[in-house]
Amino acid sequence: MTGWGVVIAAGVGTFLIRYLPLLSGTRLARGDGWLSRFLGALGLAAIAALIVLSMGDLWWQAPHWRGGLRLALGTAAVLLVQRLTPNVGLATLLGAGVYGVAGWALAD
Amino acid sequence: MSDETVAVSAWQSGRRGLGDSVSLAMGYAPIAFSFGVISVQAGLSPWQAVAISLLVFAGASQFVMVAMLAAGSGGLTVLSAVLMMNLRHLFYGPALAMRLTSLPRRLAPWLAFGLTDEVFATAMAKGASRPLAPAWCLGLAAGAYLAWAGGTALGAGVGAGWASDGGYVAQALDFVLPALFLALLAQAWRRARWPVVVAAAGATLLGMLWWPGHVAMLVGMLTGAAVGSRRPRSEYSQEATT
Repeated sequence: MTGWGVVIAAGVGTFLIRYLPLLSGTRLARGDGWLSRFLGALGLAAIAALIVLSMGDLWWQAPHWRGGLRLALGTAAVLLVQRLTPNVGLATLLGAGVYGVAGWALAD
Repeated sequence: MSDETVAVSAWQSGRRGLGDSVSLAMGYAPIAFSFGVISVQAGLSPWQAVAISLLVFAGASQFVMVAMLAAGSGGLTVLSAVLMMNLRHLFYGPALAMRLTSLPRRLAPWLAFGLTDEVFATAMAKGASRPLAPAWCLGLAAGAYLAWAGGTALGAGVGAGWASDGGYVAQALDFVLPALFLALLAQAWRRARWPVVVAAAGATLLGMLWWPGHVAMLVGMLTGAAVGSRRPRSEYSQEATT
C-alpha cells in the first residue's frame, strides 16, 4: 500500500467508524434500557477522560510543583469564570491566559 | 412550518454552531500547526500533510500515522494502528444521535465525518440541557475542521521556519484544550452525576500508568458510562431541567 493509499484508507476507515454507528444511533436511543442509559452517560464520561488525558500530558511536560501550581491556577480560573458567566469560550481563553501568565511568573 | 422557514432556521443554527466552535478552533489551530511542521520535518510534502488533515481529521492518530510512515512501517501496519486508535469513536455516533432533535439522512455523513473527540465533547456538554439541532452540530464541526485544516496548511507551508520558541503564548495555547474540557464539564455538571465523572477520571488516570493515552481514554470513558448506566435515565432528564 502506497503512502497515498494509506492516507485514503485511513480516512475512509475513520469515517466508517464514525458513520455506521451514527446510523443505528436513533434505533439504539429508543427506550430506557441499559444501552440507552450507557450512551446517555458516555458524553460526560468522555469529557472527564479527556480532561485527565490532556492535563496528564501537560503535567509530564513539567512534573514539578511549578507545573502543578500552573495547572491548578489555570483550572481555578476556568471554573471561576464559568461560574460567573456561563460562557465556555471566555472561560477557556481566560483559563489559558492565566496558565500562560503563571508560567511567566513562576519561571526560574 | 414552511420549507423556507425550516431552511432559515437551519442556517441560523449552523451559524450559531460555527460561533460556538471558536474556542474549539483556538485549541485546534496550534496543534494542527505543529502537525504540519512535524509532517514536513518527517519527509512528507506539505500537500500530503494537508491531505491527511482533510481526509482523516482525527488528531492523535494523524501524529502516529506520520511517525510510522516516516519510520518506514508497512501500509497495513500504519492503517491498523490508526483505525485501532480511532475505535473509541464507535460510541460517539449513537450517543450524539440520542441528543439530536432529528437525524436527517442527508446530513448524517457530514455529522459523522466531523465527530472528533472535541466536537463530541462540546456537543454533549451543550446537549446535556437541551436537544441539539443537527445544523448546529454541523456548524460546530465545520469550525473545528477549518481550524484543523488551516492550521495544518500553515504549519506545513511556513512552520518549519518558525520553530517553536516555547514562549509563554505557546504555553498558554497548550492549555486551551484542557481549559475547554474543564469549561465543558462545568457546563454539563449536575451533582448527581459525580460518580460518572469520578469513575471515568479515575479509570483514565490508572489506565495511563500502563497503556497509551488513547487506550486509557477508551477504558475511562467506558467505565464512566458503565457507572452511569446503573441509574435510571429519567434521573438524567430531571437533572437537565434543574
